[in-house]
Amino acid sequence: MTEDKRSPFLIESSDQLPRVTVLKRFPLPRKLGVGKESRIGKGKRWPLPATAAARVKTFEIYRYDPDSGDNPVIDIFEIDLDDCGPMVLDALIWIKNKVDPTLTFRRSCREGVCGSCAMNIDGTNWLACTRYIAETDGSATIYPLSNLRIIKDLVPDLTHMFAQYSLIEPWLHSKAPAPERERLQSPAERAELDGYYECILCFCCTSGCPSHWWNGDRFLGPAALLHAYRWLIDSRDEATGERLDDLEDPFRLYRCHTILNCTRTCPKGLNPGKAIAEIKKMIVERTG
Amino acid sequence: MTAIALIPLTVWFLASVITLTGRDHAGVVTWLRTPSATICMVLLLVALFYHMALGLQVVIEDYVHSGARFPVLIAIRLGCFALAVTGIVVTLRISLGG
Amino acid sequence: MKTIASRRRPLSPNIQIYRPQLTSVLSIVNRVTGVVLSAFAVFLVIWLSAAATGPQAFATVQSVIGSWIGQFLMIGGVFSFFMHLCGGIRHLFWDAGYGFHLRTIYASGWAVVIASFLLTGATWALSTYMAG
Repeated sequence: MTEDKRSPFLIESSDQLPRVTVLKRFPLPRKLGVGKESRIGKGKRWPLPATAAARVKTFEIYRYDPDSGDNPVIDIFEIDLDDCGPMVLDALIWIKNKVDPTLTFRRSCREGVCGSCAMNIDGTNWLACTRYIAETDGSATIYPLSNLRIIKDLVPDLTHMFAQYSLIEPWLHSKAPAPERERLQSPAERAELDGYYECILCFCCTSGCPSHWWNGDRFLGPAALLHAYRWLIDSRDEATGERLDDLEDPFRLYRCHTILNCTRTCPKGLNPGKAIAEIKKMIVERTG
Repeated sequence: MTAIALIPLTVWFLASVITLTGRDHAGVVTWLRTPSATICMVLLLVALFYHMALGLQVVIEDYVHSGARFPVLIAIRLGCFALAVTGIVVTLRISLGG
Repeated sequence: MKTIASRRRPLSPNIQIYRPQLTSVLSIVNRVTGVVLSAFAVFLVIWLSAAATGPQAFATVQSVIGSWIGQFLMIGGVFSFFMHLCGGIRHLFWDAGYGFHLRTIYASGWAVVIASFLLTGATWALSTYMAG
């Protein structure tokens, strides 16, 4: 969409959201409800060599080294913007190449397709490869995705979230014998899936969902539920009833309180919040 | 859904209270004795405390994960029920009493 | 050096660092106002009971409401009521499947905030006018 066609309203999609909010974080003690092993200490400062150029930018990055036995810390890195690409991921790669090769993070496609480099940038979850350095705070803060057990630095353990994803059985269920050729869909039936099949499982939404923070052991979270909806509305899928039976549970589905942090944070501009509301509606409609 | 019922009922209550501002005891009792006010008040109390029990239950389920959860949930239900009953009895006493 | 197995992996921070946004802030406000209104619901029963008991008890309760701290709490209660009411109506639209466009989410969110302030102001003005 070109600049001049934008709506007079503030927001058209999730990449136009106001980055700046009144408060950068909730006014809560930093140690509130934080286990002993998760407390964050002060780390090192990695300054540029004195000879370096003028355009300096600082990044505050969460570090955790499982081999040291120490608690996580925040390291402060200085980077030279003239020597570095435009994206946050470029800055991380620059640091890894030129400053500290032990900095650990996941990345692959560097163009918002693979979902590997999802992390918490300036307090919201996004892909490091599609966020401009220019859009970050003066001193940008980089944390791993929220509320996950950390393997090292910015690499969280996603096992639980993928287990929840597999719980919704994300594949076609068909009782009819397999046809000789593909199972066909009309263009209209296919169009139903638009906005729901594009999810790349980066888990920005699930990790930004307060309901999932407090009840993630039982609440499936927005990513898994978005996929559940994608299969519920697939014209070729014949297990709609069973799928709804599995979801109809006060915790699996109904811990969603429509906070909508998911829709706000999705770096692909999808709408998990709406998908969940549609599932709730499907359950009401089949009983009513 | 109790929420839908509560929209007109609570707005009615607030509007009534605004008109009652500055009235004395007799004025309030006279108001509550009109049949429409009595009926609305009873409906309000039922819907309000049902809604309150459901709402508080969700809050507790979200944040309390210890063994205290179950007794607290029971206490909330009983408390809301008791408050609703008390409110209704008192309203009817005003409405029907001499 | 401790062995890796002896250590639990740290949990990355959640509420401690996640940016407060209109979405999450209005959600928590709806919840907090709901709990506040529960307290006012208890007070409603006390008020009715006092009215049933007699003019003297009723006068006592009314004087509590009339004190400056009572007035302050009442305005807070009325604001909580409108916040919860408007937020609740917003939730009803969502439950019906409407209003999920991000632009709508933000527009309705700010509308709830502005409407709550205006309605609270209007209520205060009206009741002051009624009181003479």
